[in-house]
Amino acid sequence: MSRTSSLTFVPLIEASGLSKQFGSVQALADLDLRVMPGEIYGLLGPNGAGKTTTIKIIMGLVEPTAGWVKVAGFDPVKDSIEVKSRIGYVAENPILYESLSPRDFLEFVASVRKIDRGAVNQKVTQLADAFDMAQYFDSPIATLSMGMKQKVALIASLVHQPPILLLDEPLNGLDARSSRLVKDLVSLHAQKGGAVLFSTHIMEVAEHICTRIGIIHQGKVIAEGTLDQLRSKSGGKSETLEEVFLKLTNEEGEVADTSRMLGEAIFNK
Amino acid sequence: MKLIEAWHLSRTPYREVVYRSLAEERGRMWWGAFGRSHFDKEAQGDVELTQRALRIAKFDKLLVAAFCLISSTMPFTSLFYGSRVVGLASSISLSLVVTFGFTVLYAIQTLSSFVSAESSTLLSTLPLSKDDFSRITLFSFIRSVDYLMVGSILSQVTLVAYLTTSPLATLLMFVASTMNGVFAVTVALWFSRLFYRNLMRGGRSKSGIALRLVFILMWGSLLLGVGLLLSIPWYIVPHLEMALLNFDQVSSLFFCILYPFSAGITIANLVYPTVAFSAVLTASVAVIGYVILAWVAGRWSLETVKRISQGTGVKIARVAAKDFSIKTRSSLLGYIMKDLRISSRNPATAFFFALPVLETVIVSLLITNYAMLKASTILVATATGGIFALLMPLALLNAEGTGLEYTKTLPVNATRIITSKALISTATFVPVPLTLLALAFLKQLTSPLVILIPFFTVLAIASASIFEIKLFLASAAKGRIAALARDVEKLISGAIIALIPEVAYAAAYFVSFNHILAILAMGGAAVAELAVAVYLLRRS
Repeated sequence: MSRTSSLTFVPLIEASGLSKQFGSVQALADLDLRVMPGEIYGLLGPNGAGKTTTIKIIMGLVEPTAGWVKVAGFDPVKDSIEVKSRIGYVAENPILYESLSPRDFLEFVASVRKIDRGAVNQKVTQLADAFDMAQYFDSPIATLSMGMKQKVALIASLVHQPPILLLDEPLNGLDARSSRLVKDLVSLHAQKGGAVLFSTHIMEVAEHICTRIGIIHQGKVIAEGTLDQLRSKSGGKSETLEEVFLKLTNEEGEVADTSRMLGEAIFNK
Repeated sequence: MKLIEAWHLSRTPYREVVYRSLAEERGRMWWGAFGRSHFDKEAQGDVELTQRALRIAKFDKLLVAAFCLISSTMPFTSLFYGSRVVGLASSISLSLVVTFGFTVLYAIQTLSSFVSAESSTLLSTLPLSKDDFSRITLFSFIRSVDYLMVGSILSQVTLVAYLTTSPLATLLMFVASTMNGVFAVTVALWFSRLFYRNLMRGGRSKSGIALRLVFILMWGSLLLGVGLLLSIPWYIVPHLEMALLNFDQVSSLFFCILYPFSAGITIANLVYPTVAFSAVLTASVAVIGYVILAWVAGRWSLETVKRISQGTGVKIARVAAKDFSIKTRSSLLGYIMKDLRISSRNPATAFFFALPVLETVIVSLLITNYAMLKASTILVATATGGIFALLMPLALLNAEGTGLEYTKTLPVNATRIITSKALISTATFVPVPLTLLALAFLKQLTSPLVILIPFFTVLAIASASIFEIKLFLASAAKGRIAALARDVEKLISGAIIALIPEVAYAAAYFVSFNHILAILAMGGAAVAELAVAVYLLRRS
């Protein structure tokens, strides 16, 4: 983590006034975001809130309609190589080269990232062993389960020891053991000075590992802070994050009404 | 469930199969956002992509069926060579071979997704009886080749009916065409299963790699076989004539037994009964044998489709890795290795690796008849080989498939991607100059300098590959999803670029009648082209 130590007081991810328009759909509207070294920032929001779009803009995969982003001081569009070499990214649904085996795929990723053979072998061996991949390491990715594909994407995101991790729903499809491993790895990464942007819709995960949480709704960060700060913003002290989230997004009453209505429509004969 | 109902329902799993094969093989869709300054919903919307993919599929299927239909009628020009009976026998045989080849080549592209059985996953969750489930899966399988089969059967039967006015010959042609379709689908299904099983086995055993190589070469041989059979009127007709009129040689027996000549001979004899009796008898017995074989093949196909629909079509055994070590390479070599791996494991692009073999054989065949290697002969041979090499960049781009989504997240620029694909394409052409060099030791040359022609063409192929890929990326960046016509556009551009140095050679020679000046002009053009290509590459 030598690269991150010199950047301690500078945000590793900084976005301001981000907007993204997809035709008539406003995916992001004036979004601001800062992730400091040593921070695990949880991006929390319902489906379609703009979490993935935000991450893709930071990654340089989507260009914003308005606003700017800096990743370790670099512009993701103009300095895409610099940005991509500093990020470990796991997509919401990892799309990998299906005909390659995890071994082939990791060889490709490590070669493109120009990682030293000795260093990468040690990391790959430890990670693959920890994720219990022996049975699958030489099988085509097409034959792997979603969880296994997620593990391959996670290993690929960690092999170059990036200062920044962009994880879009990284626990999708993972078993309990692997989920725990990922959460521990993310915490360790932050402890060593790395920055993590962690998108999830699972409240418990955000509650337990994120140092700061941003609640995104209809393309805007409507609330941001630690869990306690969010609780006080929502007006309750002993609430779970799920309750806080529903209150802040004004969905608590609406969810209760919808559940009642659905219950009557589906289960009542 | 009524058959018509099952036929309608089969549309959904069929569309899924087609979409999956397109998703893997027509990687251009995922190039949409590559290198773009503006990303819009159009390039990323899954719904739009799916609709476009299905439109491409329908267009491809119609185009292939139309091409197959036209190609199946072309052999009937053989009627104008030699005697009527020989003409009819050879034209029927060749027409059957052509439709067989097209059906196999097309079907294997969609059936590879079919054999993975995932297409029926959607159906398996619905409350359908086993019979209905199998019937729907079977129909979705038939839909893959329906236009091709119906089109070729109709064209062949109509042509024979029109040309012979014999009801019996027409009926027999119908039997032969149907049988041909069954054989083609069976072979395609068998190939698809073999390829899929081999692919899914994974691992890095030497035997596995060797098997994949053999499979690729088999594709090349199949293409080459179809190509050689297209020369029936010139090479095979004389032998066929001998076989039909004098049944006294081993080659006569061979033709009468060999499919599809046996069918051609039997039908031709019904119309023009001038064939030697023993030849007709042998061919007729062979046809009965082939009908039985087609019945068995059809049953096997039905059983296989049924097994696939029940998820027991292909058994995959996993091999545990002994270690997790990986071999890192330079960034460019890593990209080249990835390109080689994904394209060699894709049934739609794997056979492109047989191109060097094909090129070398074609070049050798073109030259063997000449005692002296003239500049013009070398120019033609080199250009023919070059055209095949120019198919490679598009195959490599398409083979990227959905995986490109991941590559976009890596610190890799367009220059590296283009360089990797251009180097692979150029490498497939290298056997051509080497073959010509070897032939130069066996034959006389009009000038020793002419042997430099194919080596300068290597540079032209490299330039043409770079231009082709740049064109592809430029059209993809505009959000256009290239259809087959767009590929042709790029191929023509590539061919023009590859031929410029050869044209420079010919022009300089016609002006000066001096091989030294001509070769200098060619070398100059090739180097200048490459310099422009490298300049453009660096600006990527």
